[in-house]
Amino acid sequence: MAGVDISAGTAARRSDDRRLRPYLAFIWPALVVCTALIIFPWLFTIWMSLNDWHIGSARTFIGLENYIKLATDRRFLESIGHTFYFTVLAVFLPLVLGTLSALVFHKKFRGRGFFRTLFIMPMMATPVAVSLVWTMMFHPQLGVLNYLLSLVGLPPSQWVFATGTVIPSLVLVEIWLWTPFVMIIVLGGLASLPNEPYEAALIDGASQWQMFWNITYPLVLPFLVVAMIIRTIDALKAFETIWVICNGGPGTASETLNVYLYAQAFAYNQVGTASAVVVVFFAIIVALSLVLLWARQKAKWA
Amino acid sequence: MTATTDSDAPRLAPARAMVRPRTRRRLRRALDRIGLALAVTVLLAPCLFVFFWMLSLSLKYDIDNTAWPPVFIPTQPTLDNFVHVFEESPMLLYFWNSIQVTGSATLVALLLGVPAGYGIAKARAHGLAAMLLLSRMTPGLSYLIPLFTLFQITGLIGTVWPIALTHMVITLPIVVWIMIGFFETLPQELEEAARIDGASLWQAFRYIALPLARPGIVVGAILSFIYSWNNFIFGAVFAGRTTRTMPVAVYNMLTFESFAWGPLAAAAIVVMLPVILLTIVIQREIVQGLAAGGVK
Amino acid sequence: MSHRNLSRRRALKGAAALGGLAAPMLNTVTTFAQSGAFNWQRFKGQSIEVVMETGPRADLVKKHAKEFEQLTGISMGLEIIPEQQARQKTTIELNSGKPAFDLFNIAYHVQKRQVEKAKWLFDVTAWTRDPQMTPAAYEFADISKPGLDYATQSDGKITSLPMFVDYFMLYWNKELFAKKNLAPPKTLDEMFDAAVKLNDPDNGIAGYVGRGLRNANVVLYTQYLSGWGQQTTTKDNPPQLLTDTPDAIAAAEYYKKLLTTAAPKGVTGFNWNECQGLFMQGRAAMWLDGIGFAPPAEDKTKSRVVGKVGYALPPAGPKAHHSVFFGGGAAIPAASSKKEAAYLAALWMTGRQMTSRMLQTGGGVPFRSAPLKDNEVLAQLTIPREWAETAAGCAPISMPGLPVIVPVTQFRDTIGTALTNLLGGADAATEMKRATAEFKPILEKSEQG
Repeated sequence: MAGVDISAGTAARRSDDRRLRPYLAFIWPALVVCTALIIFPWLFTIWMSLNDWHIGSARTFIGLENYIKLATDRRFLESIGHTFYFTVLAVFLPLVLGTLSALVFHKKFRGRGFFRTLFIMPMMATPVAVSLVWTMMFHPQLGVLNYLLSLVGLPPSQWVFATGTVIPSLVLVEIWLWTPFVMIIVLGGLASLPNEPYEAALIDGASQWQMFWNITYPLVLPFLVVAMIIRTIDALKAFETIWVICNGGPGTASETLNVYLYAQAFAYNQVGTASAVVVVFFAIIVALSLVLLWARQKAKWA
Repeated sequence: MTATTDSDAPRLAPARAMVRPRTRRRLRRALDRIGLALAVTVLLAPCLFVFFWMLSLSLKYDIDNTAWPPVFIPTQPTLDNFVHVFEESPMLLYFWNSIQVTGSATLVALLLGVPAGYGIAKARAHGLAAMLLLSRMTPGLSYLIPLFTLFQITGLIGTVWPIALTHMVITLPIVVWIMIGFFETLPQELEEAARIDGASLWQAFRYIALPLARPGIVVGAILSFIYSWNNFIFGAVFAGRTTRTMPVAVYNMLTFESFAWGPLAAAAIVVMLPVILLTIVIQREIVQGLAAGGVK
Repeated sequence: MSHRNLSRRRALKGAAALGGLAAPMLNTVTTFAQSGAFNWQRFKGQSIEVVMETGPRADLVKKHAKEFEQLTGISMGLEIIPEQQARQKTTIELNSGKPAFDLFNIAYHVQKRQVEKAKWLFDVTAWTRDPQMTPAAYEFADISKPGLDYATQSDGKITSLPMFVDYFMLYWNKELFAKKNLAPPKTLDEMFDAAVKLNDPDNGIAGYVGRGLRNANVVLYTQYLSGWGQQTTTKDNPPQLLTDTPDAIAAAEYYKKLLTTAAPKGVTGFNWNECQGLFMQGRAAMWLDGIGFAPPAEDKTKSRVVGKVGYALPPAGPKAHHSVFFGGGAAIPAASSKKEAAYLAALWMTGRQMTSRMLQTGGGVPFRSAPLKDNEVLAQLTIPREWAETAAGCAPISMPGLPVIVPVTQFRDTIGTALTNLLGGADAATEMKRATAEFKPILEKSEQG
């Protein structure tokens, strides 16, 4: 993903402009379409967030009341907590597993292309369809996962059917879907690594682990950060898996911001409240992304 | 230890390896191989199991699908579930809708996105690229109500075009993102030479950069096709009876009266098949393209 | 041509004289005005769009759609969408003022108050009294009182035709009961005792299964609550919440006791379909839910309990004996431009023949009495007669399940979350009081607006 130059002085900006001008003609058609598709919904959403509007009744302007109400809405606040819990797991685990699989698939072996194709299939699979299949697998009595657990002598789990296990179970689906994505990005990083440091390290008698930790890891770090930024944005916005599999349940145990937003907008028809949720939600996403972009900048200089 | 580059290293390394006893090396290699095979198996097993189970469900009667212990290999394999899927709903129509929506959203995204990616890459306009990132950050749900209202006013509801238009939110950023990565890795020299020979910026793009970027375009097209194809929520809200896309149709297979696991799994396979096939055909390019996109 | 125009003008004058009825009459009085009698073919050549919720009713309409098209010459496009999405979609489209459909099946227990307040539906009162629009064979007078109440708005207008009523009944596994020498329970206490005796988790058998999933579970809860002779709100205008009364808490305690003692693990995430899956695999001895689930349980390709299912009235509570009901009808959006053709489709769907078929296939019980008494209809039941008899037995003890308010979904989510929390071990009184307090302002606001 393209980086943002945070350190743009005025002089730099002027030269930026000069460089940009001849290429504007290439960019503006896409820019116009993009902004038209995004700006209108944004204006609409911001305006609606200042109104009390339940579909089917009259709309009234109420200023910031929607936001004030959200600040004390237990369900909303809890949904922020669920979102972070889900996001941390759904970013960290695919990142670790994706890096491991990239290291494996970076090795040369017969049939590598074929196995790699099999491995990236999940990220291409239709999430709704996959979620439906996982729902069937999660069933506590009839699902195949509990049977697999029983084969290795583990007690059955209630998966998405219990408050304590629902979010980790949903993360399992997320891991399944998105580990390949991290793998591909890291694989790209590994492919661009120079050979020299490794050869030098071999001479020094370094162990595999030392080589990974001291050479591979720092060189791949920028790629990991890119994967992390994209993964974070996507995990924060995860919707279809959660919604299809358990609709934020049991109770509201897995209700993330996006699911809460859906309930407000489409189940309760509270367009005003829903719009305020969108605004807060977006602010969270942007803030987190900026933190990560800043981290990326640091990783670049390190 | 630090990763210092020693210019002598490449020459010294093989010599040093020779010193090791042969048998130990063989053993080590064998162990490495076994370890690798094990790692590949462990990584692939969960990934493939879900697909296997989907296939298994789709080929059994529902009474077996909910049996305990589970029936893995169908004892009486049946294609009834697939027949049911095609009989119960006009799948071919939905397939055509999906093709129209995804096809047009991808095509327009390419027309607009490839030049934009070129422009942004050449001008190093990272601010504009960040704009694209913003569109990726916006929760998809937030588009639904405003755009629905807009399409209602313009009378587009009831056709596939509003769905295609909203899918541009997905396809355009993907194409631009992939293309920026791609154009940045292309050597500048050829275009500069062309410019000196009097070619316009457009000509340099059209006749020099574009042909070189073909692999990138292919990747961008395929990825945006796949993500647009897989999108559910836009179709769920904007599509009507005759404009439904495939993922929406699969979701609608959830039947009222029972655990229709068989038909559901069959429908899941039907909707995924095109994208899975695409992936298999073009996996190398996808890996390269995505990796290039992440390089910057 | 000329005499047609003339008759139309005369008819318009007549219509205008009727004052308030003029608007719907204008639509009615078309070229056939002079013919007098009801004619199915009157709106031949039109085409309408219908939205229905996934379910046995929709399946039935789909199966016999050709018959309607032949009868009327009207072509019908049928869109079938899962329940929740159907309700969301119809709401968004009705609100936009340009719904893409001319007829939809309204879920009274969820949508009634909302569509009424928003004035989205077309008033069919005049048509129901007009012999040119409603034939005598429709037997409008046979529609039961609860059905007519559902179809009538608070301003007295009829805006839909009632189609089916959904009572609660007890499904029990005869084989499992026989093994333990038990009889089907008559009271909630007996049901609990039986459930405990039948519960055998080591062998994968649950004594009882019922909805635990947030939102869906409120429906089951209202059935228990009816045993204390109470509904979730008062009948006042505006309605007051009754979900934190001692009786409501007692019912919640019963819900907690039964589902945590004798229900399978993971029941907190069960909607009717998970319950049904277990029951049909013979892995649950009892299941209390809506009456529409008999056909798959009696289908050999789906069920392992064919012929072993017992059907019984829901057990009586300590204070009363009721079966809660929910229902659906066919409604025409006020914005539709093909109201007449849509009305004919509504007549056909909710008429004697289609509702008899619905009964025969176990797809639901009509909001009418005649099919239930008709031996010819009953003779062709595709499921055990015991089911139809139980359904008929529910009618006299019926009581509305969910409150008729605008934010029904929010109500179900809020109370439903409290109920799922109970299954996680929370205290019934605390949870019910908290949920009631949480929902109260939402209800009050919806009644003001």
